[in-house]
Amino acid sequence: MKLCDFCGKNPATVLVKVLDKEGNAVEIMVCAECGKKRGLSGVEKTAPKKEEADSRQPTADSRNFTCPSCGMSFSEFKRRGRLGCANCYNTFEKELQQLIRRIHGSIRHTGKTPNKGRKKAQERLELQRLRAELDAAIKEEDYERAAAIRDLLRETGNEVDT
Amino acid sequence: MRLIPEKVGAWLLATGPESDVVISSRVRFARNLVDVPFPVRMKPDEEERVLETVRWVLKEAGYLKEGLFWENGLLNEPEGFYFVERHLASQDFVVGKRKKGLFASSDETLSLMINEEDHLRFQALASGLDFATAFQKVAAMDEKLEGQLAYAFSNDLGFLTTCPSNVGTGMRASVLLHLPGLVLTQEIEKVLRGVYSIGLLIRGMYGEGSETRGNLFQISNKRTLGQSETEIIDVLTGVCRQMIEYEYKAREYLMHHLRVEIEDKVFRALGTLRGARIISTEEATELLTTVRLGVTLGIINELKLSEVSQLLILIRPANLQVLLGEKLDEAERDERRATLIRQKLVR
Repeated sequence: MKLCDFCGKNPATVLVKVLDKEGNAVEIMVCAECGKKRGLSGVEKTAPKKEEADSRQPTADSRNFTCPSCGMSFSEFKRRGRLGCANCYNTFEKELQQLIRRIHGSIRHTGKTPNKGRKKAQERLELQRLRAELDAAIKEEDYERAAAIRDLLRETGNEVDT
Repeated sequence: MRLIPEKVGAWLLATGPESDVVISSRVRFARNLVDVPFPVRMKPDEEERVLETVRWVLKEAGYLKEGLFWENGLLNEPEGFYFVERHLASQDFVVGKRKKGLFASSDETLSLMINEEDHLRFQALASGLDFATAFQKVAAMDEKLEGQLAYAFSNDLGFLTTCPSNVGTGMRASVLLHLPGLVLTQEIEKVLRGVYSIGLLIRGMYGEGSETRGNLFQISNKRTLGQSETEIIDVLTGVCRQMIEYEYKAREYLMHHLRVEIEDKVFRALGTLRGARIISTEEATELLTTVRLGVTLGIINELKLSEVSQLLILIRPANLQVLLGEKLDEAERDERRATLIRQKLVR
């Protein structure tokens, strides 16, 4: 049974969307009490989903994030051991860094780079990340952020239809 | 879609350095395209698009003239195991349900899988201890492909792969070693433990999930990030040279102190192979590698290493059936395998 992300005491029955420190939208589960206390409104959930039940990590973390490009969540990645797309490396940057350091003892690539394509590859990756963020902003109805990203894309010469 | 089963890969012809102990060296690169989800998340139309794009690039780069390309059908079970047995494709690739493609050069030293765990997995195989040749071939392919394709690459993490355990260089370098000396002198455990402690992987002849049979061991790097391709290969080469030395010492010991026992073992193996009417893949593999030892020690002079290595492939289930042009059940295969071996080993 999942406990409230705020007080960690009562069972969590309400699913709410908040912004974390970086300004990203996160979904957390809170008890009715904390929800009322903090003036949060959300979706009432009577039976918390089994995947979200993790009482050892009461604070919101990117387990609840999904990659905006491919929809993979970090918990799904942990289950399957496979990432969904290149942008997942951006979305789950911090957690993957930990994991990668554990596997390889390093987080810095010192080998071959795509000769002709190195700068292009980096640009393409960044472009993909921005596009995914734009989609996410629109989905969350954060039109200010969406406009900012669209302007950025326009500046770099990458028009996007919205 | 031609298959030429009688002809095995040039990397099996025992022409490379240290062929008495090292059967082959392999270098594999994993690469993904940046603007398509990784295979685990691809939709069928995306699978098709990657397949067509990479096939086109291979054609433009001139590879299709020097080899063959197969798609879907023939690459699935059970026919696809023909390629697994020849070390051109992985089990996962054949069993997987995605749209897929496979390229192999006509001498089977260079091959590329499309839509396995990563969009592209390509490898080069060389005879003996020869990473230079294998690396040069696979790096050349990498260069030609990346000129036309948009690889998923990050300055910090290198080439981005589906599984973080491959990120960075995306390179797996491995050698296939024949170590009957160390097995017979019972020093193999100690030696392999040493290999583990350096952080290398040890597996059987067919890689992940395969058992070690016939005293054949595959040693490969585990880490792919934080070391350059050259550094990884240098470490592996160094370990290999050590193992070759140990293996030679073990064989020397056996020839000095247990010569007649070794001869007995070797000639019994040859005798069984020449006489059996029914033989399984497993038994045939064990016996053939014992015969291989006999050849390297100069006990058996009438056979060449390359002939033994070829047989190791031809006796395998899918290859046997393609060679004979017939679908056979296990009992039939065991009988026909024995016949093939007797034919090949007659003098």
